[in-house]
Amino acid sequence: MHIFSLATRNVLRNWHRSAVTTGAMAFAAAIMILFAALMDGLLRDSERTAVAMNLGDAQIHRHGYLADPDLYSLLDDAAALAGNLRSHGFHAAMRLYGFGLAAAGTASAGVQLRGVDMDNEASVTLLHRHVLQGDWLAADDPHGIVIGRKLARTLAVTLGDEIVFVGQASDGSMANDLYRVRGILKSVGEDVDRAAVFITIPAFRDLMALPQGAHEIAVMRSDRNSDLDAARERVAALAPQYEVRDWRQLRPVVARLLDMADIQTIVMVVITYVAVATIILNAMLMSVFERIQEFGVMKAVGVTPWNIVALIYLETMVQTAVAAGAGGLLGYAAANYFTDHGIDLSHMASGFSFGGIAIDPVWRAYITPQSLLVPITFLFLIAAAAVVYPALKAALIRPVSAIHYR
Amino acid sequence: MTNKTEKIRFIFRVLAWTFAASAALTTSASAADSERAHQLLREIDDLWRGQSSHAIMTMEVKTAHYTRAMTMEAWSKGTDKTLVRILSPKKEQGTATLKSDTNIYSYLPKTDRTIRLTSGMMSGSWMGSHFTNDDLVRESRREDDYDASISFEGRRDGDDIIEFTLLPKPDAAVVWGKVVLTIQAHNYIPLTELYYDEDLALARTFVFSEVKTLGGRLRPTVMQVVPADKPDEYTKVIYQELALDIAIKDDFFSLTNLKQQ
Repeated sequence: MHIFSLATRNVLRNWHRSAVTTGAMAFAAAIMILFAALMDGLLRDSERTAVAMNLGDAQIHRHGYLADPDLYSLLDDAAALAGNLRSHGFHAAMRLYGFGLAAAGTASAGVQLRGVDMDNEASVTLLHRHVLQGDWLAADDPHGIVIGRKLARTLAVTLGDEIVFVGQASDGSMANDLYRVRGILKSVGEDVDRAAVFITIPAFRDLMALPQGAHEIAVMRSDRNSDLDAARERVAALAPQYEVRDWRQLRPVVARLLDMADIQTIVMVVITYVAVATIILNAMLMSVFERIQEFGVMKAVGVTPWNIVALIYLETMVQTAVAAGAGGLLGYAAANYFTDHGIDLSHMASGFSFGGIAIDPVWRAYITPQSLLVPITFLFLIAAAAVVYPALKAALIRPVSAIHYR
Repeated sequence: MTNKTEKIRFIFRVLAWTFAASAALTTSASAADSERAHQLLREIDDLWRGQSSHAIMTMEVKTAHYTRAMTMEAWSKGTDKTLVRILSPKKEQGTATLKSDTNIYSYLPKTDRTIRLTSGMMSGSWMGSHFTNDDLVRESRREDDYDASISFEGRRDGDDIIEFTLLPKPDAAVVWGKVVLTIQAHNYIPLTELYYDEDLALARTFVFSEVKTLGGRLRPTVMQVVPADKPDEYTKVIYQELALDIAIKDDFFSLTNLKQQ
C-alpha cells in the first residue's frame, strides 16, 4: 500500500505540472464525451426517422415489387399474413401504393398515393405523431388526406383545401376523386416530403378498384433491442413465398453511413488523445529525468525494476483517474445540457437530410453508456501507452551512474 | 510491263469516274426521292385530318390485367385543337379531354373538376390505353419533325407497297428514334407504322385494317396498336363515323364546353 501513497506524494510534489496534465486530459475527455453524445444523437435521430417514420424494421413484398412497383404486384393474402405476424408478437401493418396526378387549382404534381392501415400503422411507425399542421388520417374521414410538406408547397395548398387525384385504377378505368387536406406532415425524407399522399386503405381500395391484397407489409419488432437479423429470419419463415428485407437491406447507404459514423467517433477520439498523449509523455519524462538520482538510490537499496515501473504507472493512473472523473462529470453535464436544449440549426437551412432521410433541424445529444465509456476507456489506454517509455527509462537505470547523474 | 501499268491505271480511272458519277446520281436521286417521300407523307397525314373533323369511335383495350371498351366522340380543328368525350361506359361517361395548343385538360365529371396535365404526365397512359397523353398532343405534321426517305418500294407479302423511313430532324422535340411507315402503292392507304425508341429498338406497332369509305373517301377504319414489350396487349380504335371539314368554331374547344355533356 505504501507504493500508492508514494505515487500520490510524487504526483503532488510538482502539483503545477500534474494539474496541467490532468486538466488537459480532463478537458479532452469532456470534449470527446460531448462529441460522442452528439454523434449518437445524430445517428439515433437518423435511424429513428428511417425506421420509425417510414420503413419499419422489415418489409414484405412480392418478389420484384421493389424493382418495379407495379399496381398489380400484390401480396394476395396480406390481411391474413399481417394477422399471423401479429399473433407471433410482431407489429405489422399493410400498405398500398399507387401513382397518379394530384391537382389543386392550376397546380398539379405527380404523387405517390399511400394507403394506410388505420388499425395497425400506428403500432409500426410514428407518422401519426409527425404531423406539422392539422391532424393525422381518421377512419371516419375517407376523403381527408395527409400530404408531405414539399408537396403542399408545390400544390400551394393549406389545411382544408381540396385536391383532385387522377390516376389509373386496376381495371383500367380512370381513378379520380376529390379529397381535402386534413394534415401536412413534418419532414420525413425526400420521397415522402415531395410526393406522398396518405389516404386510408378503404378509400384507397375504392379509388383504385383494388378490393383486396396489399403491396407491402411493414413489420416492427415488439422489442427494439432484440437482434434485427434474427427478427428478419423469423418474419421470412412466416412469409416464405415473399421477399423479406430489413431496413438495413432496404436502405444500405443509410445503414453504412450509420456504421461509419461509429468508427468516425473512435477516429476522432484517437486523434485528440494522441495530442493528450504527448502532453503526458512530456510531463512524465520530465518527472523521470528530475528524479534519476532518486531512482538510482531506490535501486541501490533493492527496489526491483518492476516496482519502479509500477510506481511510474501508478503516478500516471492517479492523474488519469482524477482526469477521467472530472472530464466524465464535465462531459456528462455538457452532453446532458444538449440533450435537453439541442442546437437549433433551423435558421441555417430549412431542412437537413442525411442519405435521403430527413433529420430534425434541432440537433440533440443522446447519452449512451457507450458515449461515456469509449472516451474514458481510451483515455486510460492512451495514458498507459504514453508512459511506457518514461517507465522503462526509470526502471532500466544503472544505480551507480544514476547516483552520479548531473 | 509499261503496258500493264497503264492498263491498271486506266481501270482505276474508270472505277473512280464510275464511283463519282454514281455518287452524284445517287445524291440527286435521293433528293428527288426525299421530295416524293415528303409529298406522300403529307397525303397520309391529310387522310385523317381535314380542316376540321368529327368522329365517333370505339376503343378496345386489352392488357394482362383488364379488357375494356369505350365509345367516344371526338372533334378536331386544325392541328392544335382536339376534344374527346367519353360516351360509355357509364362510370366514365362525360369524362372529356381537351387539347388546345400544347395543353391537355381533363374534365372529371365525378368530381366536377377540370385539371391540366403536367409535362410529367405526358408519358402516362391516356384512359388506360396504350396511347400516351403525348400522342394526343403531338399531332403536328410529321414532315415538320422528320426527314423522310423511301426505304423500300415493291412487292412484299403480296402487296405493292412503299416503305418510308422517318428519322427525326436534329432539333425536333420528338420521342421516337425512328418511324417506319408502310403504305399501299396504288392508293396510298397506310398499312403499318413501326415506332422505334431512341436506341432504335421497336417500341410499338400500328396496324391499319378494314378499309372502307368513310368521311367521303376510302380509308382504314380500324387502327390497332401493339406495344413491342407486351405482344399480348393491344389497343384498337374502330372508327364508326367520320365527317371531315365540318363547320366548327374555335370556341367550341374551350374549357367551358369541355364540361358540357
